[in-house]
Amino acid sequence: MTVTLDVRDLCVLFAGPPQRSVIDGSVSALLVDAAMQASLPQGHRVGLPQVTFTVNAGECLAILGASGAGKSSLLRTAAGLQPAAGGSVLVAGRDVTALPPEQRGIVYLHQEPVLFPHLTVMDNVAFPLTVRGMPKREAHRRAFAMLARLRVGELAGNAATALSGGQRHRVALARALCADPAVLLLDEPLSSLDPAVRRDVRAALLQAREVSGAATILVTHDLDDAMAVATHVAAIGPFGDLSVPTAPADLLHAPPTLSVAQLLGVYAELPGVAERDAQGSRFRWIGGVLEAPDAEPGQAVACARSYEVEIHDGGSLDVPALTVVARRDAAHEVVLDLRDAAGATVTVRAPNGTGASVGDVVQVLLRHARLFSIR
Amino acid sequence: MTARTSSLRLLSFIALLLFATAPLLMLMVTSLSRGWFYPALLPAAADGSAWRELFTDAGRRDALVNSIALGIGTALVATTLALPLGRAAALSTRAVRRSVALLAFTAVALPPVALGIGLQLTVLRLGLGGTLFGVFLAHLVPTLGYLTLVFLGVFTRWDGRLEESAATLGANGVTRWRLVLLPLLRRPIADALALGFLVSWAQVALTLLVGGGAVRTLPLDVLAMLQAGQDQRAAAGALALAIPALLVLGASRVAARSTSAVVA
Repeated sequence: MTVTLDVRDLCVLFAGPPQRSVIDGSVSALLVDAAMQASLPQGHRVGLPQVTFTVNAGECLAILGASGAGKSSLLRTAAGLQPAAGGSVLVAGRDVTALPPEQRGIVYLHQEPVLFPHLTVMDNVAFPLTVRGMPKREAHRRAFAMLARLRVGELAGNAATALSGGQRHRVALARALCADPAVLLLDEPLSSLDPAVRRDVRAALLQAREVSGAATILVTHDLDDAMAVATHVAAIGPFGDLSVPTAPADLLHAPPTLSVAQLLGVYAELPGVAERDAQGSRFRWIGGVLEAPDAEPGQAVACARSYEVEIHDGGSLDVPALTVVARRDAAHEVVLDLRDAAGATVTVRAPNGTGASVGDVVQVLLRHARLFSIR
Repeated sequence: MTARTSSLRLLSFIALLLFATAPLLMLMVTSLSRGWFYPALLPAAADGSAWRELFTDAGRRDALVNSIALGIGTALVATTLALPLGRAAALSTRAVRRSVALLAFTAVALPPVALGIGLQLTVLRLGLGGTLFGVFLAHLVPTLGYLTLVFLGVFTRWDGRLEESAATLGANGVTRWRLVLLPLLRRPIADALALGFLVSWAQVALTLLVGGGAVRTLPLDVLAMLQAGQDQRAAAGALALAIPALLVLGASRVAARSTSAVVA
């Protein structure tokens, strides 16, 4: 497989003065050396100090991150729309770091599709061909073919301003693909869409992947979007670090850090203590004890998904009994706040159909959990 | 809607119509009549000589040509300067934006006589007093102020993502201007050209102070005829002064309709 996009030690900037990190109390800008700090453009600070990843042709890497984590800044820097403070961007082996956006072979799609309002849909899609000097007739022929492949051929003669949300996304994608990009950057195209349009745009993104051999990056804060579209997923951590890209199911099953697990938004976090003695290592929390062979002694958090949790009536298991103090029903799970006899509380996620009500005494059986040490 | 509200609305409309058109009607009648003196209700005779003279008298024709040349030149140069200036200011820091807006507004807000005396002293030092070029430079100052404010407003609301999209789709700077910016700026540029022309077209104080009477323009001629008691000629000249403004108003309405049709 050919490596199409190779990002090495890219230092991504944010607009604004240095900001104190709420995670560790340090100044994030101190993660880079003083010389680099002094060379930053005025009014900028280091956001993501050193980002490295590759994307192969035909693959789609989803980058997950919380709001403000720097997902969009990373894409804009790779596209050449904002300056980098260091590192390099290689497209098909060619260093494009110093090149202007139009010479990089990278197409960037904004969160809201930006169509040229003075052009028809056909002229919008033909735009990248027109700027390359292709005769209008041929450009229109190819543009129409691309529109048809994305199932919006009937819109060719429409004004760009007369489209629905989903249509705008499809037309913008068709236009991007007409540029035949080596790299396609998608900046949260699925956020703020209603469920029906979201399904439609997801389908369009999958069609675009089939049509194009481009290396694609999709940034999102939604795991479902990443699972639906991407071949690989990576997450931006609290210090601006990017996790190693992995298959979406692998990341979901085994998040590399607690912050990534928190970002995924599907885990209950069960705080406790990891212990080690002659018999081995275990994790103790208010709901019981788990075998944890590799656990480092000390404070830790166990993360469990709803289907890994069983809620039993009090007294049936050999684990501490907990009282249900609150219950919230969500679309795919039930969230229970539980309290032990000493007054300590914990929140667990249980499968839909769990019958526990407020005031019930229950016992929790964890069938599987991931353990993260807290240092 | 009640009958009373409807009647009030109709009366208001008629009053507004009379208010707006009465001076123009009076000018029209005066410019085409001879021997219309108080207390006569109607003119003694119809006479189109004032209009003929406007185009055939050499002095009057020069004044007209000067006014047109100054209007077109000022509009073109001021638009050419104000567009990049407004854009650069809008894309800059808030402090720069405010400073540029303040400077532009100063040129607009200063009383024409105060501005004219300042400009007169400057132009005289440049050796351009009493020349058409000196008057052109003087007209440029308030016009540039107006148009910079226009383009500052346009680019403050401008969607920069359009250019970013065009860039990543392969358009270089020149192509982005040709295929994206200029087509989208067609309406503001047309408005700016019209406004620039009208600001210059209506200048009296600046022309008088900087031109020192040596540069004749239509507004100066109209004032001179009025002072000389030549009401008929003054009325024809005044109407000629009003025509471009009315044409620009009509053209901008048409342009607004056609722009709406494109973006609807």
